[in-house]
Amino acid sequence: MSTETLTDGETETKSRGFIDRVRASPFLSQLLSNRLALAGLGIIVAMLVVAIYARLTLDLEVISRSQLGTNPNRAAPSLEYPFGTDGQARALLPRVGYGAWYAMLFGTVTVGASTVLGVGLGIIAAYYGDITDNVIMRTMDVLLAFPSLLLALALVSIFPDELGLWRAVAALTLVYTPRFARVVRGAALTVLENEYVDATVALGAADPRVLVRHVLPNCLAPITVQSTLNFGLAIIDLAALSFLGFGASAGTPSWGLMLSNGVSQGLLTGVWWWSFFPGLFLALTVLGFNLLGDGMRDALDPRMREAVD
Amino acid sequence: MFPKRFVLKRLLLLVPVLIGVATLVFSILHLSPGDPALTIAGERASQEFVERIRADLGLNDPIWVQYIDFLGNVAQFDFGESYVINRNTSVREVLTDTLPVTLELALYGQLFGILFGIPLGVLSAVKQDTITDHATRVGALTGISVPIFWSGPLLILLFAQVLGILPTSGRISSVYSVVDIRVTGMVTIDTLLAGNWEMFRSAVRHMLLPALVIGVYSMALISRMMRSSMLEVVRQDYMRTARAKGQGAKITVLKHGFRNALIPVVTIIGIQFGGLLGGAVLTETVFAIGGIGTLLVEAIRVGDYPIVQGTVLTFALLFTLVNLIVDVTYSYLDPRIQQ
Repeated sequence: MSTETLTDGETETKSRGFIDRVRASPFLSQLLSNRLALAGLGIIVAMLVVAIYARLTLDLEVISRSQLGTNPNRAAPSLEYPFGTDGQARALLPRVGYGAWYAMLFGTVTVGASTVLGVGLGIIAAYYGDITDNVIMRTMDVLLAFPSLLLALALVSIFPDELGLWRAVAALTLVYTPRFARVVRGAALTVLENEYVDATVALGAADPRVLVRHVLPNCLAPITVQSTLNFGLAIIDLAALSFLGFGASAGTPSWGLMLSNGVSQGLLTGVWWWSFFPGLFLALTVLGFNLLGDGMRDALDPRMREAVD
Repeated sequence: MFPKRFVLKRLLLLVPVLIGVATLVFSILHLSPGDPALTIAGERASQEFVERIRADLGLNDPIWVQYIDFLGNVAQFDFGESYVINRNTSVREVLTDTLPVTLELALYGQLFGILFGIPLGVLSAVKQDTITDHATRVGALTGISVPIFWSGPLLILLFAQVLGILPTSGRISSVYSVVDIRVTGMVTIDTLLAGNWEMFRSAVRHMLLPALVIGVYSMALISRMMRSSMLEVVRQDYMRTARAKGQGAKITVLKHGFRNALIPVVTIIGIQFGGLLGGAVLTETVFAIGGIGTLLVEAIRVGDYPIVQGTVLTFALLFTLVNLIVDVTYSYLDPRIQQ
């Protein structure tokens, strides 16, 4: 979707140019007028700040180490320990903060890798058609025939335990790839019907050039929406795998693992804060991505724009 | 007019997908670290004993022979015997015991989702862009954002620990034995068939929280789909015609709008069934319900490969079948789909 409608003379200042461009783009102006989507964006930015701050100021080794004997064990939230302490007397606040870094980092890698793989496969399937298309898309169908968390569970068992959260990332990347491939193939098929593609081919452009310069940019909108919606899912699925014992290794400040320990060792003895705060941050982050993704999807769908008469 | 040709075509298309599914499961298990023969024999077994088991399992055969054998067995729904969890019991038997438990949970979750999701979606659409609409949409998005393994424990804490009005875990109070009255394997149905009200009450009380936790997710997706589908239908010409001929707004929405808007919602019920099955794994873990989900997690943990094969394939088959049924229903409701 090209939003460049301005001539050089009209862009007087940089900021002016930006605002005009936003106004000229039905997608961006629709998205920015959606308060829920903006709230989602706000949550994501806040979590990113927490994540980066935690990563830069905290020492992973120190917050992972047992503090038994130094700190009070299983202390309720107080001024000194705002989120309380866990079963190894570790303060939960810095651990939950560091969990944001883990969620963002591993979520980004999972979604990034499956986007790249899925987009590549989808575009190639659409462009070459025939056998290539069939081989790629039927393989994707097989992967889509499994409920996603269950396929991830089965795939995780291939990788050695030492990989920790990385094996969950690898499994989920394979699980998410087909979703991107499907969406991108559909979008690319529509783009390929345009005459400018034929023109580029007729002018003698090589396949990679046609795909990267002409097809890919015009598929970016659905790709972005799909990535945003899957980001929330990826964070929740990564935590779920850790919760079930197939992700983060012991001691790691990941939300899923903290939740798992907090539920199994603390919840029924009244230590609610051990699982409450990691879960709250997890739910908030996922909500942020879902609010933004939902707003993006609405903004992309022109049928949703006009009000009912 | 039942779409026979369409169903036949869809069934035929299913065959390559299912062969692919079986192939994938076969490769996953062959790529997994660990020696099945050693798992069965135990760490301290003699070398000859391990070798004998390896020969019995056919692990010395060339890989393609193993693959063909595997496909043949899968076609007969035979996954061999459990290595560790239920030693010497056939996987089929283990699955017969646990599958109804998971299905029961999934069905109640689905029921909850439909019962609340559809009215909420309609409400949201009819009151588009009002506070009611915004609240419902935010509620739905929150519903799919809150992880089951957080909301479940918190609800247990509130209803079982603090208020003490619902049980913490399991399917029925431990004072009852459901083995003697087993018919379907679904405890709420079996107790009802046996006519034992006390047991039925206990089963229902145990089902409330798990069904709620798993159903919220379906509810959120269904209400969202219902809303957008309703909004689309409201803009159709036949709606304007209905109103132009003098029909009241309420009747138009309910009689013409609602019924047509329901059609696309049928597909979302199929698509999110996979999520429901994944959710069942987590819900069963949280509420200590011994279904196929907890079985799979345990089997992966201890390396009980025949059980892993059996459960994963059953889940895939179930998911595929539900989607087939949904497609057929859809084509029946909207004959344009059959082309």
